[in-house]
Amino acid sequence: MSRQEPLVWIVENVGSGPGSRETLVCAQLLGSDPRLARLDEDRLGPYSPGVFAKALGALIASGSRERKSRSTVVLLPHTYQVAEFAPRLALLLGAAYIPSISGVHRDGEGGLRFRRSILQARLEAEVRPRARTIVATVQSGAFSSDETPAPPRQVVEVCLPADMEPRPEREILGREAASAGGVDLAGAERIVTAGRGVGGADQVSVAADLAAALDAELGASRPVVDNGWLPREHQVGSSGHLVAPKLYVALGVSGSIQHLMGMSGSRVIVAVNTDPEAPIFSLAHYGIVGDLHDVAPALTGLLNERAGR
Amino acid sequence: MRIGVCIKQVPDTDAHPRIADSGDHIDDDDLSWVISSCDLCALEEALLLVEAVEEEEGGIDRPELVVFSLGPARVEEALRKALALGVDRAVHLEDAAFRGGDAMADGRALAAAVDREGCDLVLAGAQSDDLGQAATPAVIAGTLGRPYAWLVIAVELDAASRSVRAVRELEGGMNEVLRLELPAVLAVQAGINKPRFASLRGTLQARRKPLEKVDCAMLGVEPGQVGKAGARIETMAVRVPPTGGGGLRIAGDAAEAAAELLAHLEREALL
Ligand SMILES: Cc1cc2nc3c(=O)[nH]c(=O)nc-3n(C[C@H](O)[C@H](O)[C@H](O)COP(=O)(O)OP(=O)(O)OC[C@H]3O[C@@H](n4cnc5c(N)ncnc54)[C@H](O)[C@@H]3O)c2cc1C
Ligand SMILES: Nc1ncnc2c1ncn2[C@@H]1O[C@H](COP(=O)(O)O)[C@@H](O)[C@H]1O
Repeated sequence: MSRQEPLVWIVENVGSGPGSRETLVCAQLLGSDPRLARLDEDRLGPYSPGVFAKALGALIASGSRERKSRSTVVLLPHTYQVAEFAPRLALLLGAAYIPSISGVHRDGEGGLRFRRSILQARLEAEVRPRARTIVATVQSGAFSSDETPAPPRQVVEVCLPADMEPRPEREILGREAASAGGVDLAGAERIVTAGRGVGGADQVSVAADLAAALDAELGASRPVVDNGWLPREHQVGSSGHLVAPKLYVALGVSGSIQHLMGMSGSRVIVAVNTDPEAPIFSLAHYGIVGDLHDVAPALTGLLNERAGR
Repeated sequence: MRIGVCIKQVPDTDAHPRIADSGDHIDDDDLSWVISSCDLCALEEALLLVEAVEEEEGGIDRPELVVFSLGPARVEEALRKALALGVDRAVHLEDAAFRGGDAMADGRALAAAVDREGCDLVLAGAQSDDLGQAATPAVIAGTLGRPYAWLVIAVELDAASRSVRAVRELEGGMNEVLRLELPAVLAVQAGINKPRFASLRGTLQARRKPLEKVDCAMLGVEPGQVGKAGARIETMAVRVPPTGGGGLRIAGDAAEAAAELLAHLEREALL
């Protein structure tokens, strides 16, 4: 691996979700003046993973040929659309695929090292690419900077290569809203959320009781909803409600990135978890290491006492 | 019609993994192993698809269900479990050359296995519980040049037109409805169904169902293309993420901690 700065591409307009600002911050860490590749359905036709991967791949490959000696890093925000087509892009380019990175640095020899979460954020891994081209997706919330980085000077609109037919590999039949519900989580001032740690449908009441005592809405992590312990409309996170209450109490929630994406803007976060290493604690303003089945009823009891209930 | 399901055996997420002394992997020894959660949903979805055909057409043209897993000897237990749930056959990709692969290497090997069986539809998990690359099924699809969708939350098979209707989750509370021609690869999101439990009868039957072991030679893949040799990334270190940066840790038994927390919340005018 050479010490030379890599050729860095950042890729824009790839579905909704987290934006490309963080890819720009990450590009700065690589010390490069990045090029921006813009994907646009007006030029490429309706999105499909195969077409987007091929069109972008052709552009990246020609850029790498033009700068023979350098390595190439392609940075994309880790949106649902990117997670779908970026592995395919890496496959086409014979690149190292490093999904949802949360950090980057150089090792003693100047080689690039990327950091990413594994085992559902229980551990983090340091990964070394073994290819000249690297496709990395950037985890939302991982790269921030007070200054807004200057926009890339070189902007390239991605086009269909002349020899490629824009034949989407799949047909879009339509879009529909996922089931909406009557729970007013987005506007709530206080939320108590039940995580998988509550342990079962018959035990969600410990969270519900605390919510009632705090005059809070009841939230849920995704597994709680997936297991049918609470209806979908309670779900907080990247595929549920995005909330920012004054007070957020997480009971038995580990703190996965998808959950944090939905609630990290809360003013005061309280976490109760038996695992002192649970990632939620690094975000929590107040953390209690303990069994929620002891702590939550104790809180509920004290609150009810105060209210004279 | 043949449906393939790719399942990965992963460490039980409730267990606390221990980092090996070398610092670059977790200790396999005292772990308990389970089928990754999305993959259980993919299995269940495949079983439901087969049952739907059985009901409609009285068992004629019932799709065959084949389960695939790449990994060491312990993986056989996961495959037996899938057989007990109702899968017809199992294929175990077992070869020393498969060790240490990433999504590119494992996806290539799995693609060869899926192709060898001539699967019309492949279901996999959206994201493994251990590595969480969300990439292996895309590599299977890309290697075979098949249509692909990630984060699928509903599947309907239309055998007559040789296609599937799949619903894909988008951000912001929207879903997209897609039609993909077979052969196709779908990566299934967790929680889309309630995975069944194996019956005693199923467990007994599983012992007699075929479980084939395949290596590089049988799949016609170059050992240099799979495992560590074929991987494009290498894990240099694993560690417990720093949990610093958090706020106040409140100690004491439940009653004391609860009282102290409420005092803080009161001071912050949150009650
Ligand atoms: C594309 C995608 C979208 C997703 N969207 C979302 C989303 O919108 N929202 C979401 O929440 N997740 C989402 N997820 C899932 C996410 O990755 C995690 O799996 C999930 O957030 C974990 O939920 P959890 O913290 O409740 O469960 P776990 O991670 O299993 O954590 C349970 C926690 O409870 C603790 N615990 C156990 N028993 C007790 C006890 N008695 N007392 C106290 N603590 C206890 C444990 O120590 C553990 O930390 C998504 C995943 C994907 C791939
Ligand atoms: N070793 C493996 N054997 C079988 N299937 C696998 C293997 N690795 C990954 N998969 C499949 O690919 C999905 C996504 O894995 P990953 O790309 O690691 O997130 C898993 O849920 C499995 O369905």
